[in-house]
Amino acid sequence: MNNTTHAPVARPVRVSGEAARAAPPRTGGRAGRPRSGQWAAWAFLAPVTVYLVVFYAYPLYRNLDLSLRDYTVRSFVQGGAPFSGLANYRKVLGDPTFGPALLHTVVFTLVSIAVQFALGLALAVFFTQYFRLSATLRALFLVPWLLPLIVSASTWSWLLNSDSGLVNSVLHGVGVAPVNWLTSPRWALVSVIIANIWIGIPFNLVVLYSGLQTISPNLYEAAALDGANGWQKFWRVTFPLLRPVSAITLLLGLIYTLKVFDIIWIMTKGGPTDSSTTFATWSYRLGFGNLLPQFGPGAAVGNLLIVMALIFGLVYIRVQRRQQSA
Amino acid sequence: MNVVTRRRRVLGASLVAVALAGGLVACSSSSGGDSGSEASGPYTIWDPYPQFDNSSDWVQLLDKCGSAAGVTVKRTAYDTTDLTNKALLAAQQNNSPDVLIVDNPVISTLADAGVLTTTGDTKVDTSAVEPNLLAAGQIGGKTYGIPIGANTLALYYNKSILRAAGVDATTVKDWASLTAALAKATAAGKKGITFSAIGTEEGSFQFLPWFWGAGANLTKLDSAQGVAALSLWTDWLRKGYAPNSVINNTQTTSWQEFATGQYAFAENGTWQLANAKKTGFDYGIIPIPGQNGGTAPAPTGGEFVTVPVQKHTARYSTSEKLVACLTSSDNSYTTDTTLSYIAPTDPVQAKQVAATPELRVWVDAVHAAKGRTSDNLGTKYPKISEPMWTAVQAALSGSKAPQAALSAAQSTAASATK
Amino acid sequence: MRAKATWWKTAIGLVLTAFMLFPVYWMVNVSFTRDRDMRKTPPYWFPVHGTLEGYRAVVDQQLPYLGTSLLVGLGTVVLTVVLSAPAGYSLAKLRPRGGGVLSFVLLIAQMIPGVIMAMGFYAIYLSLGILDSAAGLIVADSTIAVPFGVLIFTAFMSTIPEELVQAARTDGAGTARTFWSIVMPVSRNATVTVSLFAFLWAWSDFVFASTLDGGGTREPITLGIYHYIGNNNQQWNAIMATAVVASIPATVLLILAQRYVSAGVTAGAVKD
Repeated sequence: MNNTTHAPVARPVRVSGEAARAAPPRTGGRAGRPRSGQWAAWAFLAPVTVYLVVFYAYPLYRNLDLSLRDYTVRSFVQGGAPFSGLANYRKVLGDPTFGPALLHTVVFTLVSIAVQFALGLALAVFFTQYFRLSATLRALFLVPWLLPLIVSASTWSWLLNSDSGLVNSVLHGVGVAPVNWLTSPRWALVSVIIANIWIGIPFNLVVLYSGLQTISPNLYEAAALDGANGWQKFWRVTFPLLRPVSAITLLLGLIYTLKVFDIIWIMTKGGPTDSSTTFATWSYRLGFGNLLPQFGPGAAVGNLLIVMALIFGLVYIRVQRRQQSA
Repeated sequence: MNVVTRRRRVLGASLVAVALAGGLVACSSSSGGDSGSEASGPYTIWDPYPQFDNSSDWVQLLDKCGSAAGVTVKRTAYDTTDLTNKALLAAQQNNSPDVLIVDNPVISTLADAGVLTTTGDTKVDTSAVEPNLLAAGQIGGKTYGIPIGANTLALYYNKSILRAAGVDATTVKDWASLTAALAKATAAGKKGITFSAIGTEEGSFQFLPWFWGAGANLTKLDSAQGVAALSLWTDWLRKGYAPNSVINNTQTTSWQEFATGQYAFAENGTWQLANAKKTGFDYGIIPIPGQNGGTAPAPTGGEFVTVPVQKHTARYSTSEKLVACLTSSDNSYTTDTTLSYIAPTDPVQAKQVAATPELRVWVDAVHAAKGRTSDNLGTKYPKISEPMWTAVQAALSGSKAPQAALSAAQSTAASATK
Repeated sequence: MRAKATWWKTAIGLVLTAFMLFPVYWMVNVSFTRDRDMRKTPPYWFPVHGTLEGYRAVVDQQLPYLGTSLLVGLGTVVLTVVLSAPAGYSLAKLRPRGGGVLSFVLLIAQMIPGVIMAMGFYAIYLSLGILDSAAGLIVADSTIAVPFGVLIFTAFMSTIPEELVQAARTDGAGTARTFWSIVMPVSRNATVTVSLFAFLWAWSDFVFASTLDGGGTREPITLGIYHYIGNNNQQWNAIMATAVVASIPATVLLILAQRYVSAGVTAGAVKD
């Protein structure tokens, strides 16, 4: 079959029964960490660590600094902005945009990643089957990622235009009243979620597909011998073995979705009247969407997003730990 | 598997990786616009006209002005919405261009940031420029640049649609007659008017002629006049005289709608003249009417030529020569023709009208126009403009009544400009 | 078993792909549309009065930029894999002290808005004098892909059975040898995934290109779009045409890469 030379020999996994529950392979015994091992481990990490320090430390510091000082355009250019502590954060928290933006961020993120993941997984399973053109079609699914977002997001607003958009024209054809997709407060968020799901499907498809490839086919054969049907094979073999990859896909999806701003910005500018504003677009609007940039509050909103990602990151690491020690 | 311990190899590989990253960095050629070092060397010019490539009249003019001043010119074009941040960032890093051409409402922001020199410092002569146009570049009695040309808004109309609907364009003199014309066009099965009410500065730009045309003032958004202007737009949408898509229209999108030939009127700018000829139907232009007649003051658009602050002030004299060259009468005529703008001085305007009589209406509109940051609003303008466009969006999308939307906007603007 | 007719799966695949790529089709449609038909109600499904105006502009002005995009894309792939694969191995299998913190930093690093990153790079590059260079852009673009790469490699490498690594150790292989001869070959899927996305991100990047590379002679193709975004007007058919022209070579490359990968997997099986 498609084992590569070094592919794992199928370990005796009893699919029927409860054994498959503990399927994610353990990442090693819980032996101590010898000192020489630590040296080797950090030797492998050194390039990335250096890289992180060189390229991320300054921007991260800059983002913090922007949010903790009272920057005007003048002090942004000339320096000397007074330290203002958490004043920018207080300002942002007290802003009437805060509540709706928080709500939209949560809805946008959760709905987007749930649907993207489900569709991506379904497509990945579909594409692991052999049929003519499967590799080509799978490659074509990536085409949306080749387009600069300004183009793909503009195409979506083209399709969803209230008057000359194709979607409304089709709805009209089947006798449904036109919907003001981008221009009514009721639909704006839905529209940008739809577009964002579309953008996110290729990512989920590719990562999950690669994850599926690492599952040894022998396991499926074993399951088939045990008399498992397709559905059981999915839930008892595929799903548990895919857990580490699923977890990282969801986590990355979450992070990328939290920071999405260009799609929303191009399609609705976060409007009408904040109805599709998320933290990311709000941060951008404060910092760059006006003739007079407000860098401080913009950076503060951006940092709130980082805090949200941090919380989810902690959850992820905790879950991962538990799996490793399971 | 013939495995041999070679841990060093990994360390080696890691080092190669770092060296590769560093090496990529080190051996690449540098061409950053380091303009402040000395008085000689290339002079950098930034403009917001990426549509012009190196073979265009505009870039050739830049080269010509450079050689006339005895220097080489390095020109970079940026997207106009990107240019403000780019200019601020460059100034922060002492990398400002020698000459910066920038959209006029941005002048107050850049001046406030201390990025721009005054025309007094650089001895740029602004005496020929019409005062209402120059005002957009003046803050606190100082002038920070010179307009390269001006544009403003007016109403384009589709002649055949008006004919079919039985409307005489010359009778459209105030809001009532305009609305009546829209009603007739809609009754004739056509669409009324398209404009841009997007939630950005473009939306405010397009709303201002109606706002000012009602006699409202930017310092009080929720005045009865302001509400009248917003109600006019809201009613048009409600009655179907204007499409719902205006809420999300940029001025380009709005123009594309007009270009389909399905709309009677479109509010758009001087710069569309060249495209208007390509639509394939007969069009006319009337000024935007005030509420009770007369021409409404439209906001001035168009860019200013400015000289950003340099560490080496010796560069200013050459920069001044470049600015003078770019804004001289002959060059101004060529540039404004390419950009489809109205020149900022009387003699050149006369020359433009002599060459193209249909520019008459635009020259009049530019005379009536008013800078957005004028009336000493300066950097207060952006803080008023954002609540204003938000109010327009709220009213048009039906989430608030015009009065309520503008009251909310006024309280936001008041606390921001306090 | 596989000889059973799979045409219906191909059919479903085609329908799904068509559905997915419909917006892309619409982009192609707009790229051929005359200005006056762009906002026609109802819209034309096909470019009925098609124009090549957009493409004429693009072919005249844009083709040289494709080379830059390709160079930047491939450079980003190499840099990303070289940096992230060893790190992923270490985090997944060598359990370094402080590894959790590092993964955490990688997560947070990705949350820094691109605009802020670009501003930071601008300051650094200006002092190094490497604005407007392909190399500078490669390094900047890799910052999108490296944290992703490390996390993906970690997730995939942690599924490699410990027995396999232990076996190599027992044979006397050092950590480096194990990584290179055992772990990397079985991590082919992860490598492909990371490379794909590093390439895609670099290819479609806009923020870094416009901040760090605007106005240079080595602009990537995405910036070519700016030629059609004037100060007052946008030429949408040319913008869309640029995107079409930019995506064709990359699409071909993706399909070939997928082919190569599938072929490689099969070849591995034969050798086995």
